Amino acid sequence: MRLPLLALLAKEPAHGYELKSLLEQTFGQAYPSPNIGQIYVTLQRLEQAGLVRSQNVVQATRPNKRVYELTPAGRDALAAWVEEASDEPRVRDDFFVKLVLSPLTGATDRMALINRQRRHYLSLMRGLSRLAAENDRGNKVSRLLIEGAMLHLQADLDWLERCQEEFV
Amino acid sequence: MRAGVRWIRADLRARPGQALVVTLVIAGVVTALLLSATVLEGATNPWRGLFAQTRGAQIWMHLARGTDVRQLASIGGVTDVVGPYTTTAATLLQGPTQSPIELRAMTPAMPDVGRLLIRQGSWLNRAAPNGVVLEASFAQAVNATVGASLVIGGIDGPSARVRVVGIADTSDQGFYPDQTPGLVWVLPTLLRQVEPITRHTDELVGLRISDPADTSFVAQQAVAQLGGGDVREMSTWTQVEQSMARGDLLLGLLLALFGLVALGAAVLAIACVTGGRVLVQLQDLATLKTLGFTPAQIMGMVVAEHAALGLAGTAVGTVAARELTIPLLHGLPAAVLPAVAPLPGAWVILLGCGIELGVVLAVAVPGWRAGRVQPVVAVRRSPPAGRLSRLASAALLCRFPPAVVLGARAAFIRRLPAALAVGGLAVSMTLIMIGLGFVSTLDDVQQHPADIGLAAALTVGPGELNPAQASRIVYSDRDIATVYPCVSVSALLAAGTTTITTLAMGTSARPYPFHVAQGRLYHAPGEAVASQGLLDVLHLRVGELVPMQINGVPVIFRIVGRIIEPEYDGQVLAYGLDTLSQAGAAMPPVYYSLVLRGGIAPSVARAHLLARSSDRLDVAEAVDPASQLGIVQVMLNGVLGVLGLIGLSILLTASAVGLRDYLRDVGALRAMGLTPLQVMTSLVTSTTVLALIGVAVGALAGLVLSSRLVNAGAQAYGIGAGIGRPPSAAAIAIAVGAAAAAVAAAAILPACRAARMPIAAVLGP
Amino acid sequence: MIGNTRPLAAPVAGTALLRTTRLTKIFHGDGGTVHAIRGVDLSVARGEFVAVTGPSGSGKSTLLHLIGGLEPPTSGEIWLDDHRIDGLSQARWAVLRRRHIGFVFQFFNLVSNMTVADNVELPALMSGASRRQAKARREELLAELGLAGKTRAAPGRLSGGEQQRVALARALANRPSILLADEPTGNLDSSNSADVLRLLGRVHDQGQAILLVTHEARAACLADRVINLFDGMVADDAAVLPPPRSSLAAAGVVRLTG
Repeated sequence: MRLPLLALLAKEPAHGYELKSLLEQTFGQAYPSPNIGQIYVTLQRLEQAGLVRSQNVVQATRPNKRVYELTPAGRDALAAWVEEASDEPRVRDDFFVKLVLSPLTGATDRMALINRQRRHYLSLMRGLSRLAAENDRGNKVSRLLIEGAMLHLQADLDWLERCQEEFV
Repeated sequence: MRAGVRWIRADLRARPGQALVVTLVIAGVVTALLLSATVLEGATNPWRGLFAQTRGAQIWMHLARGTDVRQLASIGGVTDVVGPYTTTAATLLQGPTQSPIELRAMTPAMPDVGRLLIRQGSWLNRAAPNGVVLEASFAQAVNATVGASLVIGGIDGPSARVRVVGIADTSDQGFYPDQTPGLVWVLPTLLRQVEPITRHTDELVGLRISDPADTSFVAQQAVAQLGGGDVREMSTWTQVEQSMARGDLLLGLLLALFGLVALGAAVLAIACVTGGRVLVQLQDLATLKTLGFTPAQIMGMVVAEHAALGLAGTAVGTVAARELTIPLLHGLPAAVLPAVAPLPGAWVILLGCGIELGVVLAVAVPGWRAGRVQPVVAVRRSPPAGRLSRLASAALLCRFPPAVVLGARAAFIRRLPAALAVGGLAVSMTLIMIGLGFVSTLDDVQQHPADIGLAAALTVGPGELNPAQASRIVYSDRDIATVYPCVSVSALLAAGTTTITTLAMGTSARPYPFHVAQGRLYHAPGEAVASQGLLDVLHLRVGELVPMQINGVPVIFRIVGRIIEPEYDGQVLAYGLDTLSQAGAAMPPVYYSLVLRGGIAPSVARAHLLARSSDRLDVAEAVDPASQLGIVQVMLNGVLGVLGLIGLSILLTASAVGLRDYLRDVGALRAMGLTPLQVMTSLVTSTTVLALIGVAVGALAGLVLSSRLVNAGAQAYGIGAGIGRPPSAAAIAIAVGAAAAAVAAAAILPACRAARMPIAAVLGP
Repeated sequence: MIGNTRPLAAPVAGTALLRTTRLTKIFHGDGGTVHAIRGVDLSVARGEFVAVTGPSGSGKSTLLHLIGGLEPPTSGEIWLDDHRIDGLSQARWAVLRRRHIGFVFQFFNLVSNMTVADNVELPALMSGASRRQAKARREELLAELGLAGKTRAAPGRLSGGEQQRVALARALANRPSILLADEPTGNLDSSNSADVLRLLGRVHDQGQAILLVTHEARAACLADRVINLFDGMVADDAAVLPPPRSSLAAAGVVRLTG
């Protein structure tokens, strides 16, 4: 969550609740409603790392709020993040390990393993389908996120088929 | 089946051009067949048609004026009495020429029985008292048309200027000038004007009888009833029919062959075109099967669609034949085509049904194939591939242009369509070559009539002179090269059951120059030549003996040669006059066959003989089949045209189908780096290789078959083998050249287009 | 080899709309014999949506062709509505397809020389409906599938998505007992695919039984039950489970680095 918060602060300083509502607005339903406590903890960590600093703003009719803003070091970190290519491991580590080691563990045979994983993916896919159907058309970000997830799932399923061919 | 009808409608809307081609081909064939049947009927047996159309009388009598004819109606078997019409002899004056005519007075109201068929203009009417109607063959002979002004002179009266108001056909009398006088119908007032003396007129009466077999009996009864003196002249329908008939075997043979050829070619063309269309539609047909069309339904649909096109084509062809009959055929001389009558409806229906059946049969096989198509498999149908054969690899290694090799290979990938294309083109080309062979046979007959037994141009009978006078005139004429004395004698075969006509022509020392196909002419008494028909009937061969009886005298003939003789139904035995005298059955010559000096026209020689004998000699020109065959030549040209069209349609179909298949490969080849020129070369090669093979095979087969076919037909008909001729070198060159040009054109144009299309468009789905 | 996975949804005799028993297909070609389908048992209940997945070469399309009568099986039984149909002649199959089976293909397979209207009316006309009835049904279907303005268009001029919708309309024209779809989205881009899948879902909601062959999970997951084919045999046959609550958002799958 660190980098999204940095990115949001790059636009203008904000305090915790503002950031929470911004996150909700930007990512919509595709991203779980962020916990305000989690946000504050992340902000504190960022401050400790020197990437943001905070100020206490005195308000007349309301309690004081702590406003956060980016430091130059924070801006640099943000720039570095944007420049660098994302590298996400997609290999389902546990599953692959389970599959390879199944003769040794004496657990159910490989076919059953693969079938179970496939059924799981299918039900996930169904969930994504429902989400896509419920999602309002205008929210491009949400749509892209769901599309990305579906494509990844399809890739995983195709990889399952390859496993089937090799191992069975 | 509503769904089937929907498909047919959509298909015709989507590809109207192809449907039109099929319809036009069928229409062309129907027109050609109907016209040729009309000609055949009109040329060989005009009397029957005329008689039926005119509701004619079987017996015609010229009676003395004033004879009571009412009693004739009571003779048993007589259904109608026609007339009496006043008639008189007169003359048509045209400059120096005088033609004998008979004027017949009739009223403006055309009778019901014994009608006349108005061919041009109109019948007599009172508004034109000087109007006359001429009989058609007479009008043609004197070059008179409707509206012409003529001068008629009676024997006793003044000459009158008359105007031709109409030209008609009649079944009362044979054709002029074989039968004289020429017939002219006039109003009674005009006849009285030309021939005021009633004593010089006759009454013409016709009797229509219910059973033609009773003709002679009824005629005898009529004469008995009327009293011999009153009957000046009598003629019966058998005489008229014989005089009109042209038993021309050659004509009949060639026209019948032509009919079969046209029908066969049309069936083939339709099968090819339909096969091509079905091939292009296979994808859609497979979809239909997926939807639930049964194989029988699909076959039924394809057949029904083309049967409908066939009906349309037949209808168009029938109408066209009817419209074209008069313009095309009426211009021909009466000697070639005496009567042009539209075919009876029954014939037309029969021909139409025959063609429709042919269309259905032609379409049945492609239709059946369409029914068997596999229902859609999701993968797009791709043309079958094959490995590069050893031949192709070798050709590529030998640095043959790769474009040519690839193109040639592509042509043969699909075996069945390749075979169909080659076969279709080969058959068309064969038929064209055979047609050209017919043409050259006919040319040969025209230029060398002696080759089919027509050496003599004139036949002379004594007419009103005695034999000695006739013989003197004939032998002393300077136009004549050789005179052959002849007599026609009936002979009884040894078994006593069959009578045949034998001809004693010339002498053994100077035999009549028949065209001998096998063996030799007769050179000694007792030797004879026979025609093929006779040999077949008597089961004889050249070299065998045949005993006969002539006038009670037994004579034994040795057959030394086989001749070509189209007359007498091909059953002729000819020998020298001295054979008869030696056997003891001597007979004087009855007529003379004259061979003229070179360069002298038969009509000119005839005129001289008539002049020298004061018209009392009976001189007839030999029936010249060449003039009759002129019509056949016209028809043959029509056939060749139709065959050319048929060949072209097969070519275009094969080229389109082949191109469609090869197009995908072309995309890949272009992507690989073949230049547009190379692509064009390979495309052109793929479509022309098959076509050229078909053309070459067809031309060779046709050359081999053409003269054999004519000879075989001639043999079967009794004329005798030996008249067939292969096509001339020029004709072959033109035919093959035209075919090659058509092949090239059919290939180059689509190839140009395909070579220029963007690669992506060609490679796309 | 492959173990005997007990299918979760065992067919109960008598209730299944479509049932196959030991269905086998062997192709004999130049390259030797190919055992495309080896003893497949499956069933589809009334109103059920069943998807068949598997790698290419597993025989999915062949299975569909066998069930639809486009190819004759080598052995085995096919039962539709408790009538045995595997041994029928081509003609009888054709009549069966008219009324009881609707087809949707990957490459649309519309009749190219007929208009959209003709294409959709064809099945109705073939089953003996009058022209008016066929026209009414066509108008109803085209309106429902969003093609109302394209009645007179030629198939070649329509986009891929439109053509597939026409194919769907055609397949549903006679209210078939079962709709067979062979990779219906295989030739479509993603938005058209989504449209077609949504239409399939709607049709299923209206009670149509569907047997769908696909290699895309996003299509397969819409089904009630998914059969996985591997090397000509059934590897798995299970209902699609409702998605787990915890990953209702994309969180379970996508992680934002940070």
